[in-house]
Amino acid sequence: MSSKPNLQHVNTKRDAPQARPALSAWRDWLGVAPFLLFAVLFILLPSLSLFAGSFQDSKGNFTLQNFVDLMDPSILGAYWVTIRISLVTALGGGLLGFMMAYGVTVGGLPRWVRSALSTFSGVASNFAGVPLAFAFITTLGRTGMITVLLKYIGLDLYDKGFSLYSFWGLSLTYMYFQFPLMVLTITPALDGLRREWREAAENLGATPAEYWLKVALPILTPSILGTMILLFGNAFGAYATALSLTGGFINLITILIGSQIKGDVLHNVGLGYALAFGMVVVMAVMMTIYYFLRRRSERWLKQ
Amino acid sequence: MSYLSISNVSKVFGGVVAVEDFNLEVEKGEFISFLGPSGCGKTTTLRMVAGFELPTSGEVLLDDENITYKSPNERNVGMVFQSYALFPNMTVAQNIGFGLQVRKAPADEIKRTVDEMLGLIHLEKHAEKYPYQLSGGQQQRVALARALAIHPRVLLLDEPLSALDAKIRVELRQEIRRIQQKMGITTIYVTHDQEEALSLSDRIVVMSQGRMEQVGAPSEIYNHPTTEFVASFVGQLNLLPVREVDLQNGTCKLNGQLVRFDHSEPRQISDKPRLAIRPEEFQFGQAGDRNVVLGRVEVVMFLGAVVRLRVRIGEALVSVDLFNERNMALPRVGDDVTVNFPAHACWIM
Repeated sequence: MSSKPNLQHVNTKRDAPQARPALSAWRDWLGVAPFLLFAVLFILLPSLSLFAGSFQDSKGNFTLQNFVDLMDPSILGAYWVTIRISLVTALGGGLLGFMMAYGVTVGGLPRWVRSALSTFSGVASNFAGVPLAFAFITTLGRTGMITVLLKYIGLDLYDKGFSLYSFWGLSLTYMYFQFPLMVLTITPALDGLRREWREAAENLGATPAEYWLKVALPILTPSILGTMILLFGNAFGAYATALSLTGGFINLITILIGSQIKGDVLHNVGLGYALAFGMVVVMAVMMTIYYFLRRRSERWLKQ
Repeated sequence: MSYLSISNVSKVFGGVVAVEDFNLEVEKGEFISFLGPSGCGKTTTLRMVAGFELPTSGEVLLDDENITYKSPNERNVGMVFQSYALFPNMTVAQNIGFGLQVRKAPADEIKRTVDEMLGLIHLEKHAEKYPYQLSGGQQQRVALARALAIHPRVLLLDEPLSALDAKIRVELRQEIRRIQQKMGITTIYVTHDQEEALSLSDRIVVMSQGRMEQVGAPSEIYNHPTTEFVASFVGQLNLLPVREVDLQNGTCKLNGQLVRFDHSEPRQISDKPRLAIRPEEFQFGQAGDRNVVLGRVEVVMFLGAVVRLRVRIGEALVSVDLFNERNMALPRVGDDVTVNFPAHACWIM
């Protein structure tokens, strides 16, 4: 008997029909149509308008002056303050959030603590703008509840140099929505650390510190980097919280853009567009750095 | 004094006794298997030897050293996990060398040991691959090499083949035994697979509900089980209700017919005595001085090397295993058959 199959009556050039035929192509795209529409209307078109507007003067003529104006020391200073505050709150919020997430996952705190932290984080990560500024003014402002309470027990924060309306005060306020975001995004990654990895490391002679440095943190690095860039972007684009809290006292780039576009004495829409374009460039640089760091840290992941 | 001594060890989890009064003496170079169903306490016992669990009472001595409360990273005990537990961020070579690296061994010693281990598991060409690039069998070999690279005093294997397919399991278990014998390393192997335990071990500890049921060589466990649990868990066992048991002369009545059984070992007999016999002890037809009973075939299952029949003998439905022969004429369902079995192969429980 021949071992070769008899394929005389089989069309070998054509695949068998699928048991569950796919929907026609246009139906597949129908599902994502709202997203695409949204992206075009609220991301692509405004970006193009912003890009085009940054090359126009107040009369609509082509100019490069807006980009020349970006080199003004006060504008460069605004970029630098915004980048610094974004870095500080991304690192601070990231560290704080990581420690909290560690406590409720690997740390083995009671289940109810995790539930409470998750619920709080879900709310707090979206709590920003005027309400957040108001909350901090009423607690840590010059006559805020906590400030008064601490003063009552002999600790005058403002005498010690603290001010809610300063760089560090604003950073503290930002931390309120930054660390919960870290908790929400890093908790699943910490849950993904397998108990056997820790046990295998211990079994091979590693101390807890060696396990974290050589195994756990390298495994978590892609997730940590991803979250950090998210936190950076979150702080970099914040506007209402800073404006409500400091009233423009701190020279953030978002506040500067607002004052150029809103039509007060600084009114220069073209410069506002160029400032926003500069923000896109900063985020693009950060994303590029993130991309290379992430590629380096996750080369062991399944491609 | 034995090399590894587990004395009066018990473990209680939230009021539930997971391991109860476990006692075992293991000689250097011995291969011991803990065999039992899920939840019998075998893995918990292993984890107490590794240091991942502390006993509620009792102690573990290794080479005359009390290691009961030593942390896992101070015991120098190698462990292989069911899920491999390779570090995904490290290559094969880095995984194998990890234990030596944290011990601050010189780089040339690490390289030499890694090369030696790669040779031992025949994965020299895969040194720079990451775990996800390996098959399950290859990953488990790397896990074995990683555990052996630190030259552990005891090697612990926690169901290391459970996640692999049947063919790889057989290959890898032979390889584990080969490496264990070559290195002469004292090994404890946890499994629920009786075939693995029987084929690998110098001695087997059969466990049930946290207790040791029997300890002995594989043939002893299989041929001379001391409890009904061991008899039925290790291999197949037929239990046929009998009457008029005469322990003195070793006779009883099975379906009205006189049957002789092995009465050389003293045994506990239950209120409802049953004759215990392995399926492979049966033959068809009349044969000399063997016990002979009549039955009717109810099921015929062709399993390849073995043909398993289910034969009704009185009230009991018994399994009868026959070795397959190329031109064997198999009985058919409904056939009346005469089966025989030797007196020395059955006992009363």
